Amino acid sequence: MYDCDDCVRRLDQLVDKELSGPEVEEIHVHLDACGDCTRRYEFQEGLKRLVKVSCSEERAPAMLRERLRQQLNS
Amino acid sequence: MAEENSTGPEFADEAIGHLDALYRGALRLTRDPDKAQDLVQDTYARALRYQHSYQPGTNMKAWLFAIMRNLYWDRFQKANREAVSIDDIGEFALYDQMRDDLGEGPEAEVLDRIARGEVVEAIEKLSQLHREVVLLVDVEGFSYKDAATILGVPIGTVMSRLHRARQQLQKDLFAYAVESGIVGGGLNRRS
Repeated sequence: MYDCDDCVRRLDQLVDKELSGPEVEEIHVHLDACGDCTRRYEFQEGLKRLVKVSCSEERAPAMLRERLRQQLNS
Repeated sequence: MAEENSTGPEFADEAIGHLDALYRGALRLTRDPDKAQDLVQDTYARALRYQHSYQPGTNMKAWLFAIMRNLYWDRFQKANREAVSIDDIGEFALYDQMRDDLGEGPEAEVLDRIARGEVVEAIEKLSQLHREVVLLVDVEGFSYKDAATILGVPIGTVMSRLHRARQQLQKDLFAYAVESGIVGGGLNRRS
């Protein structure tokens, strides 16, 4: 059985979907029984999402796109 | 010779399809729109030159990011050894800090109150080694394995850098949350 420490130690891998199937199952057994770890997990997922969304807004300038297109097709 | 110049339309289309991601990555790395454009342009020039080394059907985005990352380190980081060091700031979890502050574990919704510009700023303040791993894993969604290949380090190194990067990021975001009144910075703490 995982305890809170086991869970916290695997949190990065859990939010990054890098744990094996059995490990994910094991950790969810703990999460189902632990409100604090569940909130911590959701928080950590929210943080990862926030980082992604915050850095996904800019678009490459149209001029650059055009230049590259010509370069690649020449 | 003919083979080397045979840029198929598929190669060009697929490569251009990753332009926004590469440009955003270049912005985070260089923190300068002009340098970012140059870096992206050079990345595509090099990709074109070495396209024969790309195996169709494999991960082109990872391949392009690896080219860009290498160019960036060759060009901008050689003279800047300082940025290579990694500070160990110790364990820091935003969740725990907020929980101590608020008296209960914060719901993930509290993150909606953090301005996106602040997050970008916090990421750009990270040291080079931290910034690039956050960029690859969190922003671009590369697996640890792909990130390790792009960076030329073992997976364990990706994991430890990522962990430390997140600690630093959370520390900065906590300072912001206190400054902006999202949490009280200890004022709410019950004794």
